[in-house]
Amino acid sequence: MEKKYGVYICKGCGIGESLNVDKVIDSVVSNTRFAKDKIKTHGVLCSPEGIAMIREDIKNEGVNALNICACSQRAKYEEFDFPGCVMVRTNLREMVVWSQEPGNEQTGAIAADYVGMGIIKMQKAELPEPGILENLNKTILVIGGGTAGLTAALEASAAGYEVAIVEKEAVLGGMAIKNFKALPSEYPFKELQALPVLEKIKKAESNPKIKIFKSTTVEKIDGQPGLYDVTLKTPAGEEALKAGAIVLAAGYKPYDATKLGKLGYGLPNVVTSTEFEEIAKKGGIKRPLDGKPAKKVAFIQCAGSRDPEHLPYCSHTCCMGSLKQAKYVREADPEAVAMILYKDIRTPGQSELFYMNMQNDPGVMLTKGEVKQVTQGVGGNLMIEAENTLFGGSVKIEADMVVLATGIVPATAGPQAYLDGLAKAAGKGDAEKAKFIEETPKPQFILNLGYRQGPEIPSMEGAFGFADSNFLCFQYETRRTGIYAAGCVRQPMTEAEAEADAAGAAMKAIQCMEHVAKGIAVHPRAWDQTYPDPLMARCTSCKRCTEECPFGAIDEDAKGTPFYKINRCRRCGTCMGACPERIVSFKDFNVDLIGSMIKSVDIPEDGIRVIVLACENDAYPALDTVGIRRQQKLNPAIRVIPVRCLGSTNLVWVADAFSRGVDGLLLLGCKFGEDYQCHFVKGSELANYRFSKVQETLNRLQLEAERCQMMEVGIDDYNKLPEKINQFVKKIEDEIGPNPFKGF
Amino acid sequence: MSGTTILKPDLGFVNEVIRSGGESLKKCYQCATCSVVCNVTPEDKPFPRKEMLQAQWGLKDQLMKNPDIWLCHQCSDCTAYCPRGAKPGEVLGAIRKMSIKEFSAPGFMAKMVGQPKFLLVLFAIPVLLLLASGAGQTPAGPVAFGKPHGFLFSMYFIDPLFTAAALFALVSLGLGVRKYWKAMAADLPADQAAKINLGAAVKETVSEILAHRRFQKCETTKGRSTAHLLVFYSFIGLFITTILAFVKVILEPNTGYLAFLGHPVQIGESAITGLTVIFKIIGNASALALIAGIFLVMTNRFKNSKKAGVGSYYDWLFITIVAGLGITGLLAELLRISNIPAAYPTYVIHLCFVFFLFAYAPFSKMAHMFYRATAMVFARATGRG
Repeated sequence: MEKKYGVYICKGCGIGESLNVDKVIDSVVSNTRFAKDKIKTHGVLCSPEGIAMIREDIKNEGVNALNICACSQRAKYEEFDFPGCVMVRTNLREMVVWSQEPGNEQTGAIAADYVGMGIIKMQKAELPEPGILENLNKTILVIGGGTAGLTAALEASAAGYEVAIVEKEAVLGGMAIKNFKALPSEYPFKELQALPVLEKIKKAESNPKIKIFKSTTVEKIDGQPGLYDVTLKTPAGEEALKAGAIVLAAGYKPYDATKLGKLGYGLPNVVTSTEFEEIAKKGGIKRPLDGKPAKKVAFIQCAGSRDPEHLPYCSHTCCMGSLKQAKYVREADPEAVAMILYKDIRTPGQSELFYMNMQNDPGVMLTKGEVKQVTQGVGGNLMIEAENTLFGGSVKIEADMVVLATGIVPATAGPQAYLDGLAKAAGKGDAEKAKFIEETPKPQFILNLGYRQGPEIPSMEGAFGFADSNFLCFQYETRRTGIYAAGCVRQPMTEAEAEADAAGAAMKAIQCMEHVAKGIAVHPRAWDQTYPDPLMARCTSCKRCTEECPFGAIDEDAKGTPFYKINRCRRCGTCMGACPERIVSFKDFNVDLIGSMIKSVDIPEDGIRVIVLACENDAYPALDTVGIRRQQKLNPAIRVIPVRCLGSTNLVWVADAFSRGVDGLLLLGCKFGEDYQCHFVKGSELANYRFSKVQETLNRLQLEAERCQMMEVGIDDYNKLPEKINQFVKKIEDEIGPNPFKGF
Repeated sequence: MSGTTILKPDLGFVNEVIRSGGESLKKCYQCATCSVVCNVTPEDKPFPRKEMLQAQWGLKDQLMKNPDIWLCHQCSDCTAYCPRGAKPGEVLGAIRKMSIKEFSAPGFMAKMVGQPKFLLVLFAIPVLLLLASGAGQTPAGPVAFGKPHGFLFSMYFIDPLFTAAALFALVSLGLGVRKYWKAMAADLPADQAAKINLGAAVKETVSEILAHRRFQKCETTKGRSTAHLLVFYSFIGLFITTILAFVKVILEPNTGYLAFLGHPVQIGESAITGLTVIFKIIGNASALALIAGIFLVMTNRFKNSKKAGVGSYYDWLFITIVAGLGITGLLAELLRISNIPAAYPTYVIHLCFVFFLFAYAPFSKMAHMFYRATAMVFARATGRG
């Protein structure tokens, strides 16, 4: 495509008052040698007249590459929408006139730099074309036929999509169907109800859009969103299935009570909450040992949960579960008492009402306490010893039956632990790996993905084996695009919560398939038509991209050469940042383009210039907010370039900057670690890792490592950010001094 | 509660607390706001949080031997601040009622006093006794009470009857208090039991009660201590009045008991008149104070009912008896002075109230003064404040 350029400078929102726009244009022209007649100004560019002016140029002059120099790219994107044109937004409003001294010559220079960088980008960028793969499928594979899986299937079918449910048991209903009764779901949250999952099973089984595979597991999943090739292992043999997206609703298992001998498991009349449901189902509450009706039933909460030796997390459902079971006890025999020993009663939201109703029952007795042990008493009774109780010390309680409220272990925990153990052993050598494989029983895998990065959802620090993104904004998204987790495999949750969760996951699965069909990124860059397009001729098969991609989007062929499964890609550019050969590029974002922008910045002879590479997701909005609030100024020495993710930062840009004479390089990215905020999970962490290496290189070049710094910035750090930047600039001014390469 | 306590949950007891005026018991979720806002509790192991828990689990033994249930003066600060509406003040009131029932013999009487359905029976006893002594008649002549063989009833029948009722009450209370003390002291380590200085504890407790120092720490129901102080001192005044009147009927030269028994005492008419004047002044002043005090008690209860709860049947029975006693007493006196024959039935009603107060004292809320004083002495003696 032959490009015809147009630069449009808006004078509204204070830009015209703060800047001498004519002088800015002169500087731009002298810096970039860009044709002055292609630069136009307008009083209010986003007004119908301003937009009409641009439209006319597109129509009459054939302009097809635009640099709109007005507000932030995060504003007015509906007004500045010109399909078919390369679009560049230069942020003069928030980043310059609202955050710099007005009328100042320096402010004009800053504006000229930004307009110049925008021109470079406009010249280098190409028009994106959506990459749409062929033969896309829009069936949703739901793994797990419990409350979450059934809900996801019903929601997806209601939205018009075909669904296949795979359930490993012979019956649908998951853990929910094992219950005697279900918790109340309506005001006044007092009476238990019949199992809602029964109704769901009925609906799913009679729904022509839902295909159900019972006693079936997933043998293999290959491919990518829109193009999954699924192999099922059914009782009748293997069966192939095509799918467009996957809802992972594999649920949980109760914590293994045999590890809770201290709490009496193994003694007669000590049962888990799951076993207690079975007892209640048989009618009456009868002791397993002798069939006598239970008169004093003790419930021990957090049996294995919130315990560093067992499950470190709260299993969330056991408080309500035991209150429900206390009601079984009380309804079976009004003379019987239910005693609940808890760490804390956690009944959030509406659950509180049920808790209050149960607490109001005289036969439900509650105390906080840490149960030390449960021992055999007389006549099949049990003696519970608890410390730090509300009674002011240790107590002993006799019960004729004890129920352990065992916690939730996600179905993904076993495979994750096995794979992590395997990777660790493999790191120690082949012998260790072989030993691990021989000695460790292999748990049943769920997904069996044919991915370079492993067959299951990878484990994550702080997620304790759950298939959770661990990230509030993207709750159903796993680190495998197209696979959405719902229900207790994602987080411990009640049936009602699992229903809401499953509906959300089903909607994400639909979004995924529809975006893939349009050739745009699934999420979070849900508008993005670009995709990584590597120049494979120069690939050295170093595998850095395949290893670092946070989403496992890149597989390897038999020779070890990477190839993209583009529908799995989230367009963060981590591969672009990782590639030492710099062969990965997007149409509007690549190593050369950003490098050229850095090199286009004017370097003052006697002053400090700092390049800031800011993450578009958090850091850049925080900088915008500094402008919007207009209470603080940004340091005039900085020039900010937004990047998709810090993970996309290629080390060559460091060389580009410092060889050009830039005095400092600041990287603003998201928080990483257990409570990470990175929209691409690992991007900022990888950037941090890479930059820890680059500092050695700087030292070798006789440049101080401190010239290059990474800061973790949250979107709400806008009030601290200007000062942090000032400190960095001041350190370079006062302590490190100007770049010795300046002027070469 | 050091060491390991063995809990014996008792659903029956829980239900009894609930029935006895503690219907909000189960709302407590043990946040301990009550113990934090209470101005009366000792800082170590404060009440009423732990009592609420003990009651929720039906731990009768622990509650019954606990001095703290009586250290509570039901200021209702706890009730006012309770985030769950569990009304700890009312619950402890119910527990105190059960404590009285537990320790006062015979038990069936406590049960009767505690339940509205027996109210008529309880009143029927003095009514029948008084009617049997001739209270139904209205004698001719100027209205006068208490003639030895008068009109209304024989003094020689009424006085011993009431004296017997009072003695019964005192014995029953004495036994009850002793049982309570033993229960409290049972868990006391031997070295601590040996250290008890009962004399000093009694002295301090009496001085505290006379000044109502603890009561004055109440915030939510400020003003209750003044009302209670009035009732308290009026009772003392009426007690003195009764004693002096009794002295008079013993000593009177012609009609006194000693004369009746054939051992008349030589005593001047003026001495008897002087004695009469003194106890009449004390008696009338006390009666006025009693009526004023009990009126304040009632208005306080209504005023604070939103924050503190309106109280149980047990509370109101006692308040009603006291109010009835004061009002009928004063009314009977006024009618008598005015020489209106309605004075007689009024006086009979008054005597019914007196009987109720005396004879049922070990089982009604009247007993609170004995049990609370005992608990306060025990607490002081054992360093609980």
